Amino acid sequence: MKEDFTAAKGWLERIGELPIAHPVAVMNVCGGHERSLTQLGLRGVLPPNVKLISGPGCPVCVCPEEDLADAIALALTGDVTLVAFGDMLRVPINAAKGEVRSLAEARAKGADIRPISAPQEAVALAASNPARPVVFFAAGFETTTAPVAAMLAQGVPENLSVLLAARLTWPAVDMLLASGDAALDALIAPGHVAAVMGASEWGFIPERYHLPVAVAGFSANSLLAALYSVLRQKLAGKPFLDNCYAELVAPEGNLRAQALLAEVMEVTDANWRGIGVVPRSGFALRGEWKRFDARARFEFSALPRRRAGEMPPGCDCAAVVLGKKQPDQCRLYGTACTPQNPVGPCMVSDEGACHIWWQGGTRAAA
Amino acid sequence: MCLGIPMQVVAIDGFNAECEARGVKRNVSLFMIGENEVEVCDYVMVHVGYALRKMTPEDARLSWELFDEILAVAGE
Repeated sequence: MKEDFTAAKGWLERIGELPIAHPVAVMNVCGGHERSLTQLGLRGVLPPNVKLISGPGCPVCVCPEEDLADAIALALTGDVTLVAFGDMLRVPINAAKGEVRSLAEARAKGADIRPISAPQEAVALAASNPARPVVFFAAGFETTTAPVAAMLAQGVPENLSVLLAARLTWPAVDMLLASGDAALDALIAPGHVAAVMGASEWGFIPERYHLPVAVAGFSANSLLAALYSVLRQKLAGKPFLDNCYAELVAPEGNLRAQALLAEVMEVTDANWRGIGVVPRSGFALRGEWKRFDARARFEFSALPRRRAGEMPPGCDCAAVVLGKKQPDQCRLYGTACTPQNPVGPCMVSDEGACHIWWQGGTRAAA
Repeated sequence: MCLGIPMQVVAIDGFNAECEARGVKRNVSLFMIGENEVEVCDYVMVHVGYALRKMTPEDARLSWELFDEILAVAGE
């Protein structure tokens, strides 16, 4: 870290020299950024007028309750092996007392549910058990969804299907800015999403909303360079799209990955847990890949759910995801809700702001 | 999930690469970048088992230093 810190120190000094007379709120929209900012302790060393906000950067946190309930119900039938990224297993849903509230609880009741860390593990599992239906419950942003598209395009065993809960990052930011009630002055754009989709995808922020934006990587150096850029843009009153992660992010992104996404999936309106439907923010399988859609292969119960789409009572995850509250402003933080006993998804996922703040040492509500 | 890990390519067989980072070896798919884009000894940024993009040895090293820092803090 030594070299990075030397460079980072230079950026910190330059930020410290900026005449920031009024508070400036800078939002990141990536769990990886939030983790770096928190673990590196950057909030503690920036000028007091620079406020770092965590925005919609956690795909697990916004995975709709309906999808989780469907995955749980399907796994409990005993007819399938369900695989999901490990983060998903402990996410709780609203359920009556005594009912199964998470995939982990379903697993404890005997459902065949297995955590995976890569789509190829789902392929391998399906290939080694050709008579057994394997369902890949796939939540994630573009960085995860493009690999799922690649997996399907390359060819998968017929007994593998996908229960897709994939989301695009930028439409949520667009909706937030269009709503007019986002208290933010600048954005740090997600480095690895941009590596796939292209830095230019974030050009709408200065163009449409006249706000500064910079794509950042995950080192202190890259994050502080991006922060310096957006603060300078703000002070100059000339917002533009900057790229402080050019070593990995091209303006056009990874064209091959985008082509795979476009071939296998189409963009749809999608529900975000606690937030509602965000236009053109989800994916569905298209064309010949529709037959790998788990929703086309299995009966899902049409039972109405009382609080479908909502966060658990008292949980401020939706406000935290939208950057309207900091994690420690939730009244459950650190008391009713901890990583050992999470109430909301933001305390479960490695990319959830609450979980990241807890790991960073914030152990009580503000 | 968005956590990218820089790895070095050890062997390539079509779209499948054996990659290594800090002594840990993993199978990595090259399907998202194309099999002719990388060679043995190159570095790639890996996400959920897929190479996202080729990277320079220098960038890979800096990314690993960041991980060491975060892991050290998280392990305390």
